[in-house]
Amino acid sequence: MAISRDFKQEDPPRHARLARLWLDHERALIGGGTLAAFLLLWQAFGESGLIDPLFISSPTRVLRAGNGLIHDRDFWNDLHVSGSEFILGYGAAVAVAIPLGLAIGLSKRLQYTLGPFVDTLNAVPRVTLLPLIIIWFGIGIWSKVVVVFLGAVIPILINTQSGVKTSEARFIRVARSFSASRFKIFSSIVLPGTVPFIFTGLKYGAGRALLGVVVGELYASTAGLGHMIADAGNTFQTDVVFFGVLIFMATGLVVVALLDRFEREFEKWRPDVR
Amino acid sequence: MSARQNFYRAHERAILGAVMVLLFLVAWEGLERGWWAALLRPWLGPAAERWQLKPIFISSPTLVAQAAFRMFFVTGEIWRDLGWSGLGYVVGLALAITVGIPLGLAAGWYRRLSYAVAPFLSALNATPQVAFLPLIVVWVGTGLGTRVLIIFLLAVLPIAINAHAAVRTTDPRLVRVAASFSAGDWRLFRTIVLPSSLPFLLAGLRLAIGRGMIGVVVGEIYGSASGIGAMISQAGSRFQTDKVFVGVLTIVAAGVILVEIVQHIERRVDVWRPPA
Repeated sequence: MAISRDFKQEDPPRHARLARLWLDHERALIGGGTLAAFLLLWQAFGESGLIDPLFISSPTRVLRAGNGLIHDRDFWNDLHVSGSEFILGYGAAVAVAIPLGLAIGLSKRLQYTLGPFVDTLNAVPRVTLLPLIIIWFGIGIWSKVVVVFLGAVIPILINTQSGVKTSEARFIRVARSFSASRFKIFSSIVLPGTVPFIFTGLKYGAGRALLGVVVGELYASTAGLGHMIADAGNTFQTDVVFFGVLIFMATGLVVVALLDRFEREFEKWRPDVR
Repeated sequence: MSARQNFYRAHERAILGAVMVLLFLVAWEGLERGWWAALLRPWLGPAAERWQLKPIFISSPTLVAQAAFRMFFVTGEIWRDLGWSGLGYVVGLALAITVGIPLGLAAGWYRRLSYAVAPFLSALNATPQVAFLPLIVVWVGTGLGTRVLIIFLLAVLPIAINAHAAVRTTDPRLVRVAASFSAGDWRLFRTIVLPSSLPFLLAGLRLAIGRGMIGVVVGEIYGSASGIGAMISQAGSRFQTDKVFVGVLTIVAAGVILVEIVQHIERRVDVWRPPA
């Protein structure tokens, strides 16, 4: 910072201006540069014939495959199926986990009674339950909704609960001595303090939910993006597989970005600590 | 207050927890054996039959226990699967550690390297890594390699990300003091950064253990003939629900034991630290 301020005083020479440009955007330039280099290398290897494009495809091939898929009605159906599984499962997980997490955090007895089950489910990699869930719910969309739900519900629940537990005890004591009601304490101290924890859980849960969609569809399904990827893999359409992976990647990034944005909205009231 | 009430107060957590678990197990057992159907028949008539479920549908605690005993001690069939899965797990996790820790530490230490790898790490981290499974199968077939690679891919990210964060959160005052006594880069790294990173590294390892377990199962449902995951999925498609439960519980037990070991190491490592 000190350097750049010095430069400002007199008209800087050309190379100094360039250096400043570099310093100001170093992060983006290096990151973008490596990404571009990676894509170029991938393209070069994929198209030069050194490695069979059947194995690694290439960026242009992936784009071409994507362009083809966009005009394919099956692809939109797959997208619709996977999207429904994600939204239904994740939505149900949010609707259950946040109230339940708050309740468990507030009530010691509830924690004692439900704790063993939550801990056990937390220790189980939920995707191992897939074979059972398929027996119970069939290979249609509902088995995937359940896997997504189970994947997402636990991290949200646990984070919400520990958010309540870490409420500032002094604040509560102050509020109590001013004879605030239990509801008032909850809505003005406990809940706001828990929001960051809830969002951490939501982000974590979103990752788990996407994992559930993919694994559920790889395992047994008749439609969906995971199904499309598996099919394409079996027929060596590497470009289609990459395009599917790209969609999952984009979904993950978008969901986390959206949650970050929501979180900032919720946290606006907080005084700036810096 | 009576002695009995005192006892309850002191052990409320254990008592309530145990009662709930017991109730759950009894409810489950009864659902399979038809206890509830028999109980409800006077009121519901034939409709009570809905309260009895077939063993292929839900199995029961005793059936699961029997199957576990058979698989572990009578036929011993599960040991081969355990060994096979364990091999892939150990190799994949070891690979993730040997790549993830140096990469994460280096990215934390060299700012420019962190700029270079950050886009890849965050993109990979946002992706459900199991989506790469069909690609991995195209690349290395369906043998041990696939499972090692998918376990590696799942486990390496939490390890690398935690190692990166560990270096970043090193107390800058300590580094500045050492630097002003002209400690070299290597010395700084070895005596300050590495020890203060250790708890983060172990936390990353703990996360990676769980992720690796997912890798074991997912890697094996995809065209593997043996291993715990393959056993689970085969048992599932043959409606051997009790075997599925045994497999799931075995994986849970393995995960819990591994996490316990890491936590034990964490406590040992933290002994030298002055209390905050």
